[in-house]
Amino acid sequence: MAAKSGKKTLRRGSPEQPKPAVGLVRGLWRTLYTLFQKTQVVQYPHVKEEPHPRARGVIGLQAENCTVCMLCARECPDWCIYIEGHKEKRPPRREGGKPRSVNMLDRFDIDYALCMYCGICVEVCPFDALHWSPEYEYSELRITDLLHNMERLGYWDDHRHTPPPLEAGAETKGKK
Amino acid sequence: MAGITSAEVSAQARVAAHMADVGVAVELETPEMTLNIGPQHPSTHGVFRLVARVEGEKIEDVEPVIGYMHRGYEKLCEVRTYPQITTLVNRIDWLSGYANEIPFILAAERLMGIEAPPRVQYIRTILTEMARIATFLAFLGVYGIEIGAITPIFHAFRDRERVLDLIESVTGGRFHPNFNRVGGLLDDLPAGFLAETAVAMDAVKRVCDDLEDLILGNDIFRERTVGVGVIPLERGLACGVSGANIRASGCTVDIRRDEPYLAYPELDFDVVTDTRGDCFARAWCRLQETREAVRIIEGACKALPAGPFMAKVPKVIQVPPGEVYQRAEGPLGEMGFYLVSRGGRIPYRVKIRTPSFSNVSILPWLLEGTYMADLIAIVGSLYFILGDVDR
Repeated sequence: MAAKSGKKTLRRGSPEQPKPAVGLVRGLWRTLYTLFQKTQVVQYPHVKEEPHPRARGVIGLQAENCTVCMLCARECPDWCIYIEGHKEKRPPRREGGKPRSVNMLDRFDIDYALCMYCGICVEVCPFDALHWSPEYEYSELRITDLLHNMERLGYWDDHRHTPPPLEAGAETKGKK
Repeated sequence: MAGITSAEVSAQARVAAHMADVGVAVELETPEMTLNIGPQHPSTHGVFRLVARVEGEKIEDVEPVIGYMHRGYEKLCEVRTYPQITTLVNRIDWLSGYANEIPFILAAERLMGIEAPPRVQYIRTILTEMARIATFLAFLGVYGIEIGAITPIFHAFRDRERVLDLIESVTGGRFHPNFNRVGGLLDDLPAGFLAETAVAMDAVKRVCDDLEDLILGNDIFRERTVGVGVIPLERGLACGVSGANIRASGCTVDIRRDEPYLAYPELDFDVVTDTRGDCFARAWCRLQETREAVRIIEGACKALPAGPFMAKVPKVIQVPPGEVYQRAEGPLGEMGFYLVSRGGRIPYRVKIRTPSFSNVSILPWLLEGTYMADLIAIVGSLYFILGDVDR
């Protein structure tokens, strides 16, 4: 029956039965054909794929932007961000004014063993202190080592990618 | 009883009592036995246990034991804000994370009276259909393995990876996109997405032909699936079976067409149905739906309107009091969220209607009287995800 020419009009595998053994031969031919095609596998440790710029690999912290507002720690669905800070007195801006009090960041840890990679913390940060980086090679032998401190988060922040340009028809306003 | 001493009698009695205790002799002698399939079994898509009472090769009775993967999402939703819940619902059906977000976000938007801009609707449609393709390609590969064909999974997963790659390039996550926000999206499409989609969709169309050659046209596959595990329409409807499982039994129900949401009413696609209702028909329906999904994506990419990717929404998402049930056609069937809000940032109650839970409920009826060799074919063809059953 129309196994070959019917590709356009008749869907193979439809209630109309193909001839016996035709299916087997077709399948074996498909396997043989694929055998001589280019291989698709990336040999990971030797060859690395470039991750997408938007890929949510790891969160980096730009510590000087952080004002210890705790928004990210509060909005995190599984509370994997630990922040500690203290207040410091700074000289007043104007002569004779009151001394300013500034929040100083002491500790900013993200526990990547708990993190769900949802990106809510990056989104809610009002001062752009948190950014996504597509880096992904930070597996550890011990689960406690997945708690990244400020220095490590700063390292990730240095390795972030610039956001890609947008597709035609996109309105760019309103994006921070 | 001549010739048998009382000591021998008591020894026999001891042995008999011991055997009755251990139960070895009793089970060996009777032809009936209880067989546990799972909870850790490669063909159950998760931790799923089937307690089967078999007589020889024949299955007398099957009891599915579910709940091993219960993560309490419905309760968890009562203590999380709306933006936080989208990241939870991603994980209900982990093969099609994006499609899970749609009914929840639509429910929240309906309660708030917000309509997302048309561009958002189209992008959501494209990504939902991509999730559908990824799920169905996974099915067509894995079902081959369950039937005994090793080859198809490599073809299916090669091109499934292309689709997941596209989802990642837009959302940042392959499985857990968390890309929808109430009233819009996190961001717009990156440049070059439409061109890459066109290339990937051609590859998906090719792999559909390949899989048709490799599985659905294969004589052995047909022998094992045609006429096996037939779900009659009335029985399927009574058990609440949905999605491709019920369409394979002749029911032309598709929420995308019947209760239009997103950009589906403006796009051209067919509802694939079959009347046979057996394992083969279910696999066939999924293959054809993959092709329809490609058609939807290509149509949506052509008609993609320009505009903003976010409607005007307040900074803090607060949903006014009310109740709404929003359903959507997920890859596995009807997925719905019954959302009760009493105002504020947190829902009062969320009831999640997942397709796999209803699809599994037909198993005891379906497997009764079948043979052990058909069990995996039937269980695999229903295609449930255990995260979706237990949530």
